[in-house]
Amino acid sequence: MTTASRRQHTLEVLVENSPGVLARVAGLFSRRAFNIDSLNVGPTENPAISKMMIVVGVEGHSLEQVIAQLDKLINVISIKEIAAEGKKSAQDTQPDYQN
Amino acid sequence: MAKHVPTANGTEMTGATALVKSLEAAGVEVMFGLPGGAILPAYDPIFDSTIRHILVRHEQGAGHAATGYAQVTGRAGVCIATSGPGATNLVTPLMDAAMDSVPLVAITGQVPSAAIGTDAFQEADIRGITMPFTKHSYLITDPDEIPRAFAEAFHIATSGRPGPVLVDVAKDALQKMTKFNWPTSINLAGYQPQRTPNAQSIADAAALIAQSSKPVFYVGGGVIKADASGELRKLVELLGAPVVTTLMARGAFPDSHPLHMGMPGMHGTVAAVTALQKADLLITLGARFDDRVTGKLSTFAVNAKILHADIDPAEIGKNRHADVAVVGDVKETISALIPALKAALAKNQPDLSAWLRQMNSLKSTYPLGYDTPADGSLSPQHVIQRIGQISGTDTIFTSGVGQHQMWASQFISYEKPRTWLNSGGAGTMGYGVPAAMGAKVGAPETTVWAIDGDGCFQMTNQELVTCALNNIPIKVAIINNESLGMVRQWQTLFYDGRYSNTSLESKRVPNFPMLAESMGCVGLSCERPEDLDKTIEKAMSINDQPVVVDFRVHRDAMVWPMVAAGTSNDEIMIARATAPDWDSQEL
Repeated sequence: MTTASRRQHTLEVLVENSPGVLARVAGLFSRRAFNIDSLNVGPTENPAISKMMIVVGVEGHSLEQVIAQLDKLINVISIKEIAAEGKKSAQDTQPDYQN
Repeated sequence: MAKHVPTANGTEMTGATALVKSLEAAGVEVMFGLPGGAILPAYDPIFDSTIRHILVRHEQGAGHAATGYAQVTGRAGVCIATSGPGATNLVTPLMDAAMDSVPLVAITGQVPSAAIGTDAFQEADIRGITMPFTKHSYLITDPDEIPRAFAEAFHIATSGRPGPVLVDVAKDALQKMTKFNWPTSINLAGYQPQRTPNAQSIADAAALIAQSSKPVFYVGGGVIKADASGELRKLVELLGAPVVTTLMARGAFPDSHPLHMGMPGMHGTVAAVTALQKADLLITLGARFDDRVTGKLSTFAVNAKILHADIDPAEIGKNRHADVAVVGDVKETISALIPALKAALAKNQPDLSAWLRQMNSLKSTYPLGYDTPADGSLSPQHVIQRIGQISGTDTIFTSGVGQHQMWASQFISYEKPRTWLNSGGAGTMGYGVPAAMGAKVGAPETTVWAIDGDGCFQMTNQELVTCALNNIPIKVAIINNESLGMVRQWQTLFYDGRYSNTSLESKRVPNFPMLAESMGCVGLSCERPEDLDKTIEKAMSINDQPVVVDFRVHRDAMVWPMVAAGTSNDEIMIARATAPDWDSQEL
């Protein structure tokens, strides 16, 4: 579902074809409360590298933050945004909460 | 990492021996661990290794000890455990190390590869369990992969933003034969942390600072990790702006320095909290806008521009938008910023005198303080302050989590980096004693005090046995208020004094001095202010055994100042229902 405050971005992510890499990416999205709208994994011409196409629903977090967190995964080699829909971060980028 | 080719290269050996040779090749001198079935093959070559293995009493102790060792030495700490429950007992230390960016390599045994996925005895998917808070992790089922995995693990743990790396090794990979081959280089396509900051970002940073009339240095733990205290001091004195050091950065800048406003955050000083709130620029160095520092984010430092320097690009803009971002090692960043700022200030020297006058007025009007209990009992703040004063500024302090942690941060004067170790991000009760053990192993000539709570102490005190039997003479101060004090404080303030399950009910059960004696330590106690100094001096005089001092303190002492959770830093209270007198301040 796409609303005015929620934007979809498509990321092409090259990852090492190693055990656990899908769990790492899926786990990252889950624990950081990023939304995956769809995820496809396929081979590349290099058998050591797989390609993930991730459609991200950005809400609350900036796309930059999603990309920066993904890039911290050691098995993630590169991230490219396809069909950008630019969005500038707000002053503070997190909602207020009591903890 | 891969600095020299070990003599073992090319030799046939078991995977277990390859594991130990890998640790030796990585320069490991000490590890903390406890064996079990799946990791047992590795313990056979450990028996012959030059690496000192310290046998703990609980794997959690091994993990926090490795963290304490790493925080004091700046090198990777190493802990080792078996599969299943041995591995899951490392979960808390791994989470703790991730939150506080500690370089750690955790080694776990795994059930044989053929048994993985069968719910075998002591099987746990420890790599899966720890994925959220390891910087990276490995599951090794082929012995040929062991040397490269360890070379990479140490490289990843200690470079970039430091963090914990787990290496889980299947038992059969330890038992099979392999030809040892320590890699001569490491090339990880997906991991190339940027150490050297971009020249343009440094120029932008210098220009932003030179335009500011109310700047403040917001210093985080990254400055200590990068060993950048010397550079920081030069930069601060060049600009002459006030400094705040977060809970993880205590010691990064000397507390005695006139520009130091203290710790910001939930229990920060009025001067430090207000410096951030009223600044027009935060020069953020290796800090991450944690909620315990910012308070309610939408009201945090609303008039400030943000200069954010961090080695982790994902911290930039995570909680607060950065006007200028500098990604890189903070030591290199500060070193590059000094000449750039000199040049910028030569063109435009802002006048900070009014700003400094305001901050110094707050600092002198609202110093940290505490009330002496009316009934003549011991004040916990006074106990901690005297331990700091008597043992001196070379001493390393660790703490548990709670009121005593905040007081140890507030009332001990930290002059040097790597002298204050605590569980900042994770808030791990029980961190204090095992972290002190690791710290003492890393710095055996230095006095190490664990300032602990009676609640925290009862979580991990078993490592005092390890200390007693391995000549690790730490000192432990139990700040015994027979309560889970910080939670009780919240109940006092926010739950109408309904003390649900925060009373530990007795200052006598357990009998801490007797418990200490039973574990091979010297046990002391103190409950009268007139005995305080001589008790601390007695503890200081014992250096061949661990010492535990049970300080029986007043129960109702509270940590002030306080910014209540979820509220704005502007609502800082210096005592219950008492705000600073803002009207008398020219802010």
